[in-house]
Amino acid sequence: MNFSEYVVSRWDTLSLAAAEHVLAVAIAIGVAALVGIGTGLLVHETPKARNASLALSATILTVPSLALLTLLIPLTGLGWGSTLIALTAYALLPIIRNTVTGLNGVDATTVEAGRGMGMSRARVLMKVQLPLAWPLILTGVRVSTQMIIGIAAIAAYVDGPGLGTQIFEGLSRLGSVNALNATLAGTLGIVVIAVLFDLFFYAVRQLTVPRGLRVRH
Amino acid sequence: MFDTETEGARIELRALTKHYPGQPAPAVDNVDLDIPAGELVVFVGPSGCGKTTTMKMINRLVEPTSGEIRIGGKDVLSLQPDELRRHIGYAIQQVGLFPHLTIGQNIGLVPKLLGWPAARIAARVEELLSLVNLEPSLFHDRYPRQLSGGQQQRVGVARALAADPPVMLMDEPFGATDPITREHLQKEFVRLQKRLRKTIIFVTHDFEEAIKLGDRIVVLRERSHIAQYDTPAEILARPADDYVAGFVGQDATLKRLALLRVEDVAPAGPPQQAGLPQVAAGTSLREALDVMIAHGSDRCSSPSGVLTYTALCGAVGTGRPSSPGREPEAVPSLPAPEKVVAGGR
Ligand SMILES: Nc1ncnc2c1ncn2[C@@H]1O[C@H](COP(=O)(O)OP(=O)(O)O)[C@@H](O)[C@H]1O
Ligand SMILES: [Mg+2]
Repeated sequence: MNFSEYVVSRWDTLSLAAAEHVLAVAIAIGVAALVGIGTGLLVHETPKARNASLALSATILTVPSLALLTLLIPLTGLGWGSTLIALTAYALLPIIRNTVTGLNGVDATTVEAGRGMGMSRARVLMKVQLPLAWPLILTGVRVSTQMIIGIAAIAAYVDGPGLGTQIFEGLSRLGSVNALNATLAGTLGIVVIAVLFDLFFYAVRQLTVPRGLRVRH
Repeated sequence: MFDTETEGARIELRALTKHYPGQPAPAVDNVDLDIPAGELVVFVGPSGCGKTTTMKMINRLVEPTSGEIRIGGKDVLSLQPDELRRHIGYAIQQVGLFPHLTIGQNIGLVPKLLGWPAARIAARVEELLSLVNLEPSLFHDRYPRQLSGGQQQRVGVARALAADPPVMLMDEPFGATDPITREHLQKEFVRLQKRLRKTIIFVTHDFEEAIKLGDRIVVLRERSHIAQYDTPAEILARPADDYVAGFVGQDATLKRLALLRVEDVAPAGPPQQAGLPQVAAGTSLREALDVMIAHGSDRCSSPSGVLTYTALCGAVGTGRPSSPGREPEAVPSLPAPEKVVAGGR
């Protein structure tokens, strides 16, 4: 069976795995964006809290994904639960870091102008700093997404959802019938998903970055 | 909020002091100052002398260490800071427009905070854009990044004026523009203030700008100590000490001439006399002198009458008093007018 015949014959399995992969990444990135941006908003002005949250999320990132997933099994079992928790945790650092950098990077005189006009601290944060930091925050979310699309493949080890199953099954049976096809299908599927997510974020960027930040100088 | 709604309100500073934590000396030390309602008072002094700190205490962007601030009789330190700031116009050198909002939204921001209805905000934004000479239909929907530096400064002034506050604080608002644009903005601003009669504190380190704009000037030395507080003419004529004289510079008389206009001096002849260089009645004496020198004449003519060199000197209290029997035309250093006009053509 050549590769295209393989894909056609396993289409149901492959498309389901791909859909699960997308879903797992989408849920994890959605939660991570909420938690990460929220954390960034809360800690960006307080050096101690800021450093603590950045250090924590950086530490998570240094734990090998396989180890983290294994450690989660006693807590959240096999499958979706552990997968989603791990993916969300890995996605946090780029989002928190870019949120903090973006909010603090807003020109101090712009913030002062807002305060000087009688905007409250919270209002300046939400109506001035957040929109101005938004392009950078969005980049953080995008980077996290690309990262966890790859990590999600490893979730197959804890019986998690996604295309990882294809890859690892193929690898474990290397040399036998269709082993290479399975690995190739899983890998290509992940590449396609990565491209689709990037297109999605491009669209989000076009739709949500304020026009005033996109106009030419 | 203050006694007067939109016309200027009086500002009083009493023993106002700011000591930044960790600094060896106070940045502003025990300042007493009264700023009359409707006047434009310029704070001038070297960089770091505490001008900005003094100004920011008035809208409480900086909390005073001690002392009192009153605006229109109200104790500023007892008011809610955000509410207070919505009633004080604030313009800064870096402008600080919000790049993600249109020019219209930037200008309408304080009225929006004050809860004005949308229609009233829209009308006010149009009015303000015209007031600062920006065509509303062209600029309303543009973004700050699409504007030149000078245009942004104008929007900054319009934004500070938006809710028609009785008091405006302006911290080197024209400082970041090129000299030609700055001069233009200054002229416009003087014209604007003539109409609006706000109480304005205007910070600059440029003494020329202080003379051009101020009804009064506060010359500050370090820690915001007041070296002299007086009208530009008085400071130029009688600097309180060497420090102030240093600001005034060598050309104090020329600067004083710049403050007076041709129409302020009693005419020495009929209006628009033919054969003489002509100037407008609103021309400054300094510019009139320039015209006279350029034409090698000791007099020039304007719609309000003839201005002579002697009268010009008299206006700033220099030169010989003109004796009644003698026509004041023979100023030795300048050739006679007839010769000059002929030669100039
Ligand atoms: N936030 C601050 N913390 C500590 N020192 C400050 C702060 N702001 C200003 N200063 C100091 O106070 C003095 C006066 O500063 P400033 O009011 O900005 O002067 P100016 O506006 O006349 O240049 C300077 O010595 C400056 O370094
Ligand atoms: Mg300053």
